[in-house]
Formats: sequence, C-alpha cells, structure tokens
Amino acid sequence: MFSIYKKEVQSYFYTPFAYIITALFMFLFTLIFNIKIASMDSSSIHFTFTEVFYNVTFYFIFLVPIMTMRSYADERKFGTEILLITSPVSVWKIVLGKFFAALTLLAFMLLCSSVFPIFTAMHGGVIVGQLICAYLGFFLCGAMFIALGMLISSFTENSIIAAVLGEIAMFVFLFIDRFSETGFVSQFPLLQKVLYAFSAKPKFAYFSKGFIRLSDVVFFLSAIAVFLIWNYIVIEKRRWNRG
Amino acid sequence: MIKIENLTKFYGNNRAVNNISFTINDNEILGFLGPNGAGKSTTMNMITGYLPMSAGKVTIYGYDISKDPVKAKSCIGYLPEIPPVYPDMRVCEYLSFCAGLKGIPLAERSKEIERVQELLKITEVRKKLIKNLSKGYKQRVGFAQALLGNPKFLILDEPTVGLDPNQVMEVRKIITDLRKDHSVIFSSHILSEVSAVCDRVVIINKGDIKAIDTIDNLERSLGGNLILHIKVKGDRTVASNIIELTEGVKEIKSIEPEGSDFFSFTVELDGDEETVRSALMKDLLNNNISISEIFTEKPDLEEVFVKMINQDTRKTGAKDLLKEIIEADGGDAENEESGKEENE
Repeated sequence: MFSIYKKEVQSYFYTPFAYIITALFMFLFTLIFNIKIASMDSSSIHFTFTEVFYNVTFYFIFLVPIMTMRSYADERKFGTEILLITSPVSVWKIVLGKFFAALTLLAFMLLCSSVFPIFTAMHGGVIVGQLICAYLGFFLCGAMFIALGMLISSFTENSIIAAVLGEIAMFVFLFIDRFSETGFVSQFPLLQKVLYAFSAKPKFAYFSKGFIRLSDVVFFLSAIAVFLIWNYIVIEKRRWNRG
Repeated sequence: MIKIENLTKFYGNNRAVNNISFTINDNEILGFLGPNGAGKSTTMNMITGYLPMSAGKVTIYGYDISKDPVKAKSCIGYLPEIPPVYPDMRVCEYLSFCAGLKGIPLAERSKEIERVQELLKITEVRKKLIKNLSKGYKQRVGFAQALLGNPKFLILDEPTVGLDPNQVMEVRKIITDLRKDHSVIFSSHILSEVSAVCDRVVIINKGDIKAIDTIDNLERSLGGNLILHIKVKGDRTVASNIIELTEGVKEIKSIEPEGSDFFSFTVELDGDEETVRSALMKDLLNNNISISEIFTEKPDLEEVFVKMINQDTRKTGAKDLLKEIIEADGGDAENEESGKEENE
C-alpha cells in the first residue's frame, strides 16, 4: 500500500499539480478573507474564521473533483490498471493508498491556509479552539468529498467526465439541505427529514462554530467508508463485466 | 509448474475462450500463437488474475489464482500488450514504484532495479520521463518491470511488437537466457519468432486450442509433405490432369497463370520426391507441355499455422482451382471448356 501511496503523492507533488491547486485554494481563501475583513466595519457581525471557512467550502467543492478526476480514470486510460491489479497487492490497498495520498494533498492545502490564522493571531485575537474545530471539520468534509470524487473517477475512463460528474454530485451533497427547505419538500416532513440528514453543510457548520458533535463525525466517517467500499466494488465488478 | 484447466471466458453471450487446458513445465518457453482476436490476450489476462474466468482453474506453483491471488501473483511477471507505464514518471521512479508494488525489500531494491536496467539496456534513459521515450524503449521499460523481483513465471504478451530488428534480436536473446530459471509463456503472431525461441507452441483460434506440440512435431504431422512447384507452358487443363493423376501427388494446392501461356502449379506430394519428379516431367513432355521451372521445398511453420487456423475453409481438388481461374478469365471460359472436352 505504501508504494501506491508514495507514487500518488509523487504524482501530485513532482508535477506542478499540487502547487497550482494549492495556489488556487489559497487565492479563494484570500478572496473570502479580504471580503470579510473589508465588510467588518460596516456590519455589526464580528469577523470570525467560522465565516471564512463556511464560505470556502462552497468554492472548495470545485477543486475536489479536479484533485480526484485522474485517480482511476487515468489508470484505465494508460492501461496501468492492469499493472496494479496483477501485482501482489489487494484492491483494498490500491483504494486506500490513493485515498490517503489525496488526503495528504488536502492536508498540505490546509497547512498552507494556516498562514491566515497565524497572521491574524499576530495582529489580533484568534479563538484557537474554534479554529481547530473548523480545521477538523474542513478536513473531514474534504475527505468525504475526495472519497466521492474518487468513486466517480472509477466509473469512467475520461477524466473530464469524472470531474463534471463529481462537481454535480458534490453540489447535490452540499445543497441538499436548501432543497429540503423548499416549500415543495416541506409538504412531506419525512422526506424533508431524510434529505436533511444527508446534507453536509449544516454538519460542517457545527464544526466551524466550534462544536465537535459525535453524530457529525460519525456522519462524515461513515460516508467516507461507504464511498470507499463502493469504490472497491466498482473496481472488482468492472473486471467481471469487461468485454 | 503452471496448470491451466478448462479455462473459459464469456463476454456476455460471446465465448472468447472455450474450455482450454495446458500446462507449462519448469524452465520451458511456451509459445502462444494465434491470429488477432483469437483469445490470446484474454487467456493471458485470466492467467495473471486481471480478468476473472467464467469457468476453470489456473494454478501457479500450487497457488490457485482466484483463491490465493496475492501469493500466486507474486510468482508472476507480466508484460501486457500495451506496456503499463505512467507517462509522467521517470524510468527509475517507475521501476522503483513497481519494485515496491512487488514487495521487494527496500535494501535490495536499488540493486534489483540496476540489474533489470542493465539487462534491457535502459540504464542511459533512466532519468528520462517515460512520455518522452520511443515505443521500443517504452516496451523495454515494461519488460524490465515484468522482470523485477525475478519472478519464476513470466507472461509476455507480444513483447517484440514495435521494436526494431536489432532490439528484437536482443529481446529474443533475453527470453532464451531466461529459460535457465524461469518458465515463460510468450504470445506472438510472428511465426519465425516462436520457432526461434519456444520449446512448445499452443495454437489457438477463436477461443479453441488447435494444437499443443513442439514445433518439429507440428511440422511433421501437418505439413510433413513436400511441396513441389512446377511452372509449365501449354494447356493448363491437360497439365493439371496429368499432375493430379501422377502417382505420389497428394493434391494440387494452387494454379496461377503467369504471363500468356505459363502456369505455376503448387503441388503437395506424399510419395518419393525423385520418382514423382521424373514421372511428372516425362508425362508432361510427352503431352507437348514444356517445363520451365521445377523445384521442391519443405513447408514452413507459416504453412502449418495457416493450415491450423483455416482447417475448415480449405479448397480441395484441381477442379475447384481450375474453375476459379476460368471464372476469373471471363470470356476465355468457353474456349477452355471446349478444349477440355476435346482432350478428354
């Protein structure tokens, strides 16, 4: 598993890929950070990182599919999938190796973004507990989206299609709570409840406010597990169906 | 020893590989021969555990590939049809990644990589990105990957495709050298290659095994008869009648017109070469047919192969062949028919 992890990390960091995507992430973070600071005086709301993180999540879902689109689609395109599957490594290790490599990239991005809180702390006050919660929540939420993106990448040979489908799936996941609040859905309270249970944004909101609720952690972890298991099944099943 | 028993693969309702069985002995090079789409790659993919089989069993040194895949796969080095290389990696990075995949201990890794690099003469390109390499080098990098960790059983799917003649010779030599402590299964549609390298061949077509034997035996059993080429001037109907009736001639395989009056006959013999030749020459000359060329040759593996593959659709008899030519001639046909009757 380690060799797959290492190869994936290399493919992110030995190419400009990791740096460009981190730069884009930092750009978005800066943008929102600046907007929030600029609007600080005019509004009664105090500036907190909660808001920044909450807003960054929205833009972040555009980045995740770009991170994950190649992970399985390219293996199939270049015929290297055959190398992985015929080597004495189980499919589980392939799935986990790739997943952890993408998590490493995510961690790298978050590490770079910590420049802002550090800078803020030097010139003002930062609520450390809340910040840690926000980072944890962001990491869990990001991990879930990465697992989803990888799953979608394993469906297709074309990485662009994987990216677009990933985008759509993540939108659904993020905004399913808005949909559940519409007048139409509120006619069916049960449906509303179910849809709300699947939405990621309110759960992330708790994290960014400084709450670590067990139910939210379980939600993210179980979603990650489901996507990874599904991913495993897709790879196994494709081998049976080929032709 | 590698045992393949009753291997079958269905793609939907389409049967790609049909109930094939063979074994590969230790230190043996087995050629796997068949036209495109015969099921060679599918079979190889099943042996390596990439594709699951619809039915049957593959045992590699005692490990069942579907029940004990990790142990079975660690005995295999596989070079697929398209070398499985990552375009964005350097050759040395790629080999180090593959060494890790195969579980070669860290301490031995660099030594092992050096060994395969030298064996395949890719040491000088090891710092290059794989996407910048030529097809031949990519193929060699893929081959190097298969040799990493010195697996006992090598599966090479058309390893010499895309190489220049010099490289082909080198790769063949490497394969022959591997015989010392490896079993190799080696697919190709180039016959000379198989006959140069392999101990035994499996011929496969449309998913069925047509033959498993040594090359010598195949030649003897199928194309053991000599082929006689004879070029004559004169009436082709008369000539073909004479040739067909001569004792020792098995059949006329082809008749081809050459120039205005000349015809080339290809004849399969089953009698003694000298007797047939002198009898033929005597009879033909007596019937005012002059001979401009006559020689015999041994059928080669190509012949055996084509025969194996097309066993069902072969033409037989001089009549069919003559008819074909006459039809091709068109307007000439009438004259020929009348001429034939006169002669009879």
